[in-house]
Amino acid sequence: MDISPLQLARIQFTGSASFLAFFLPMTLALAWVLLFFKWRARVTRDPGWTAAYRFWVRVYALAFVLTLAGSVPLLFQLGSLWAGLMDKIGNVAGPLIGYAVLSVFIFKSCFLGVMLFGQRRVSPAVHTFSIFMVAIGQMAAVFWVVVLQSWLETPTGARFFDGRYQVFDWPAVVFNPALGWQLGLFALTSALAAAFLIMGVTAWQALRRPLDHAEKLAFKAAVVLGALAVVLQVPVGVGSARVTALHQPAKAAAVAAYWETGAQPSFTLWGIPDSRQKRTRHDVTVAHGSTLLGQDAITGQFQGLDTYSGMHPPVGPIFFTVRVAVLLAIVMGLTAWVVFLRVRNRGFDPSVLSRASLRGVSLLMFAGSLSGVLHTWIYLFGMQPYAVNGTVTQTEILGPAASGSLALALTSYTALYVLLIVAFLAMLFHAARYGVIPVRKVGRAA
Amino acid sequence: MIATLAASMGLNPGDAAFWMPLAFMGMLFLLVLAGTVFDGFDIGVGILLAWAPAEERGRMMNLLSPWRDANEFWLLLGVGLFVAAFPFGWGAVLGQLYGPLTAMVIGTVLRSACFELRIRARTEHKSWWLWGFWAGSVLTAFGQGMALGRIVTGYQTVAGYGWFAVFVGFCAVATYVLLGSSWVIMRVRGALQQRAANWGRHAVRWTAAGMIAIAVTLGLANAGIFYKWSNLAHIGVAISTWVLLLGCFVAIEMILTRIVAGRARSLRAAPFLLCICLLALMVGALAFSLFPYLILDDLTLWDAAANTDVLRLVLVGVGVAVPVMLVFNLLAYRSVFSDEVLRN
Repeated sequence: MDISPLQLARIQFTGSASFLAFFLPMTLALAWVLLFFKWRARVTRDPGWTAAYRFWVRVYALAFVLTLAGSVPLLFQLGSLWAGLMDKIGNVAGPLIGYAVLSVFIFKSCFLGVMLFGQRRVSPAVHTFSIFMVAIGQMAAVFWVVVLQSWLETPTGARFFDGRYQVFDWPAVVFNPALGWQLGLFALTSALAAAFLIMGVTAWQALRRPLDHAEKLAFKAAVVLGALAVVLQVPVGVGSARVTALHQPAKAAAVAAYWETGAQPSFTLWGIPDSRQKRTRHDVTVAHGSTLLGQDAITGQFQGLDTYSGMHPPVGPIFFTVRVAVLLAIVMGLTAWVVFLRVRNRGFDPSVLSRASLRGVSLLMFAGSLSGVLHTWIYLFGMQPYAVNGTVTQTEILGPAASGSLALALTSYTALYVLLIVAFLAMLFHAARYGVIPVRKVGRAA
Repeated sequence: MIATLAASMGLNPGDAAFWMPLAFMGMLFLLVLAGTVFDGFDIGVGILLAWAPAEERGRMMNLLSPWRDANEFWLLLGVGLFVAAFPFGWGAVLGQLYGPLTAMVIGTVLRSACFELRIRARTEHKSWWLWGFWAGSVLTAFGQGMALGRIVTGYQTVAGYGWFAVFVGFCAVATYVLLGSSWVIMRVRGALQQRAANWGRHAVRWTAAGMIAIAVTLGLANAGIFYKWSNLAHIGVAISTWVLLLGCFVAIEMILTRIVAGRARSLRAAPFLLCICLLALMVGALAFSLFPYLILDDLTLWDAAANTDVLRLVLVGVGVAVPVMLVFNLLAYRSVFSDEVLRN
């Protein structure tokens, strides 16, 4: 089998981004959830909140370790895999990546150690403050990354001149049209990742033994968070679809599998896109449904995939990924609300749910994280064949590495990621079954 | 020299376009050096786990514990500064180093994850993570050495250069072993100290071989660098570098021999300090050789630097980072030179 270096590079980059996208959302949101637990413990003096904090801070620490580890390959791949990228966008991306690294450095060196190992060494107020700073610091780091990510979709504030982007308006670079929706989507995905993780793990525990007070408190917080986040996902999803229709019409057309420019198309709910014959087989459509994407409202016309002379995202992958992501969002939404309504008047005790429902909830343990992975795929597939939307293609920035070494690296990365994911799962389930004992680092009195 | 260099580019030494890239290169140099020394002993101790008796391995991991957070960040800070200040050289350098960097990155991820997971793992699983940390350390050292081997041969890809890179990779493992064992010598007493001195003695020869091979290759492969080191204006620098280099090797060997024999206990910090001198000499000499190029004879650091207004933004970030870094590192490393203290 012969795979081109470009395909191998795409697979490798998508794989590394997916690993990060799996762990980053839960890390991001768990810090805020932990801050909430800590705050409740201080206000209510209920030891249950402290116990909940103690269990979930372990899961947070594991997820953080893997998030930090997972960000290193991505950073280096930006340089070694896409070697030509910075030469084009260095003036924009350099400071953004630099600030992201700096943000991680500051919150990790100043506050994370206190949060994880310093609980007995500092006052409760200082400890709570350090959790807050970790939560803020993580958001700051992610903010810079999302700025870069959204700017690549909607490159405003900089001019492409002589093969290089020159910034003329930094606020326009940072607050580019796609930023707001992407930040919103990221925040909600994170909330869902944490909510479904806590709900799922607690349901898994409830299947095995009666829950204690702390576990019920954590479940309650997670159900409320999840029910809120799934609702907010609807407007944010619609909003980002409209930005896509406006700024990435080719991606929107690929999502809709809209092959030929013409009259107002009907919206394809499901089907099997056939890129060779340029049509969708076995399709299920809704008449006039394309207004869902808002393309007509903004541009006044419908542009099919035929207008882009091949410079559009691969239809099959993005078509299916979007539909799976929407399906997953619907399943999460129904689950969160059904559970919320069932437990609301019964003290948010998961044991009132049937065993089948508990099994269902525990199966969705990683649904939020998986939707983060799917969003990353939609983003990366949707960028193809470009690295910077509309100007720089992936082909022109591909590094000099040969297929052989790319394939070897891909195999090694796969083994590494499988090892780390298996370790995470094993340690998570061990903790869920037998509880956690505090760890300490030698040389750090705590 | 600075004035001539500025004039050759038609710039005033006071121009931001001239001094800012230079200042960032200075910082990058310091980050590389700090990373080599501090992440280096960490890597070295990791590699040595394979030779340590099973009951000492946990103790060696615990020795590293207080500095892990500080040690593992030098690489990220260095890459962050590199991409922010010299984006137009970043891809060119990293793209050429794809293979070695992949080895280094996988090693770094393994080290970072395994160390933390080991702390939180069940007792019966701890040794798996310890071996993961070992494998990560070997890969990181080897990858860094391979990268160095590729850099000094100007990224040539003919087969012979590949083997040279493999040789330098092996010597880099030895160098980190030397650094790690001399750090252990300084930190502990008893049987482990003597063992470490023995490891160091094996490693010092390969360290010397590697460093001399790099120096010779660099000079022979590039006429400009050969001239730089051999012309009369710099002959003093060249001679004193070589004398210092060889002096350090001889001194390390002599002290290690005495420590193995159970003598010279009062000198137990000396090998580590001498190793730092060696690494500083090597990184300094490399920088001197390559300057003002980022990629030899092709891309100067001014070519690679971002626009001046972008560099100003980076400078703001550095202004925030440096105080944090100083305070954090002073707190983290204040006892790096001291004896092993078992707290709690």
